Amino acid sequence: MLIKSSGITDVGLKREGNEDSFSVDDSLGLYIVADGMGGHLAGEIASHISVDIINRSYRSWLEEDASSDDIYGGADDSLSREGNYVLGGIRLANRVVYELAYEKKQYQGMGTTVVTLLVTPSMIIAANVGDSRIYMLRDGELEMLSTDHTIVAEQVALGMMTEEEAARSSMKHILTRNLGSSENVEPEIYEIGPSGNDRFVICSDGLTDLVNDEEIRKMMEDANDPEELCRDFIRTVLDRGAHDNTTIVSVFISDLMKSRPGLSGRISCILSDITVGVHKVGKKLIPFK
Amino acid sequence: MARLILMFNNQAVKEYPLMKESITIGRNEGNVITVDNLAVSGYHARIDVVGKEHILTDLQSTNGTFVNDKKVVSHKLVHGDNIIIGKHRILFVGEGKTLKVATPENKIDMDKTMMLDTAKQKELLAKQPGVQVAAAATQKTGMVSFIGHADMGEIELSKKLTKIGKAETSEIKLTGFFMPATAATISKRPSGYVITSMEGKLKVNGKIIKESLQLNEFDNIEIGKYKFQFYYKGAEK
Repeated sequence: MLIKSSGITDVGLKREGNEDSFSVDDSLGLYIVADGMGGHLAGEIASHISVDIINRSYRSWLEEDASSDDIYGGADDSLSREGNYVLGGIRLANRVVYELAYEKKQYQGMGTTVVTLLVTPSMIIAANVGDSRIYMLRDGELEMLSTDHTIVAEQVALGMMTEEEAARSSMKHILTRNLGSSENVEPEIYEIGPSGNDRFVICSDGLTDLVNDEEIRKMMEDANDPEELCRDFIRTVLDRGAHDNTTIVSVFISDLMKSRPGLSGRISCILSDITVGVHKVGKKLIPFK
Repeated sequence: MARLILMFNNQAVKEYPLMKESITIGRNEGNVITVDNLAVSGYHARIDVVGKEHILTDLQSTNGTFVNDKKVVSHKLVHGDNIIIGKHRILFVGEGKTLKVATPENKIDMDKTMMLDTAKQKELLAKQPGVQVAAAATQKTGMVSFIGHADMGEIELSKKLTKIGKAETSEIKLTGFFMPATAATISKRPSGYVITSMEGKLKVNGKIIKESLQLNEFDNIEIGKYKFQFYYKGAEK
């Protein structure tokens, strides 16, 4: 399995600071984006801490081969071992941000969204809290692997509002769930089997506010590599006024032998187990400006 | 009692009830309303209460005093008058009257992502007719039921990812010489359940599936010699 990845963040044209954080870790196959909120530096700190905790806890639990008893907040039986590590990491990050916001006056009201993508040879794991999103392009079709935790998304799910009304609503940025505002949080987690050639984008709402799903699908399909895709997205967002910070992490996986089922697929399964860990290291981009 | 509301950048900064007979506005500390701005003179303007009337007088300031965009020397204030001194705007609110103005507390930047809190939620929802906050929609649990292999019965898709095949780690373990380790997977997604072909032949409703397919209730799935049906828990088969 070959993984190529790239990450980029841009402050945009209206905001003074960048409250988004992200991490790209090809050795773990773990990709994280967080969009912080709260005055002064609180949002920036919340997003940064969360990304760091999720990444570090995942790595250490994986290295220790931590058991289900070690999962912070208790294991979820519907998830794989790796899925539980992601779950535990997100819960832990929430607790730390919550405690900080509670203890320090200058951090009152701090919080962050978080979206994580984990790519392993046997599984793709998508998790989110808040309105940062994860998209997968498979067979030319775009699928959102996250659930927005916003008032309007809940209204849409209940059939009380259409997607179009939701996109125009003045309340679309009101979250019903984030990291830092309550003692415990439950992320949305999805686990799916990998296909031969999947492309992923994880992003903050700076992108999805200004670029619609069909445009995202087309750009993901047309891009030659993740780095080009990240730059295309940032250019589009800046052209459209960039009222918010925008962060994009893009991951392309290819497994040519596995893309057709059959005997070659069986061989590639064995190969992919061997080659994971020695795949090409993705580039981390330096933000514009 | 009449009041003055000092504004800056369209936000109310402070409110002054007109209690005294006379108040002054200016940059100097000795004024009742102190406006710290170089465009404002030391003693810029004065408001006198004369009976029930309020009279605004420009104290020969350098940059002048404006009411509703007109330069004034002396002016009888009426409710809602807009006084401009330097970069600041001062609103005159007549006795027993109210003016709707944005204050830092109630002005919300709707472009910014924020967390729902009860007080803010009520305020926002009051402004949006026909919108109410409801509990998150519950997702239904999928099931598969074997056809012709009665001993295997029904299996609840309780995992986020259900692997189907010969491998010991499969959630749905199938046998047979040609059965691959993992023939297919069924994953729970935001949109529902999706079946993905991994190895060997997968058929849904008689059609060969090479990649993925969103499952609809009562779809018939075929892997090797096994046949089973997908449905939601609690549904009539």
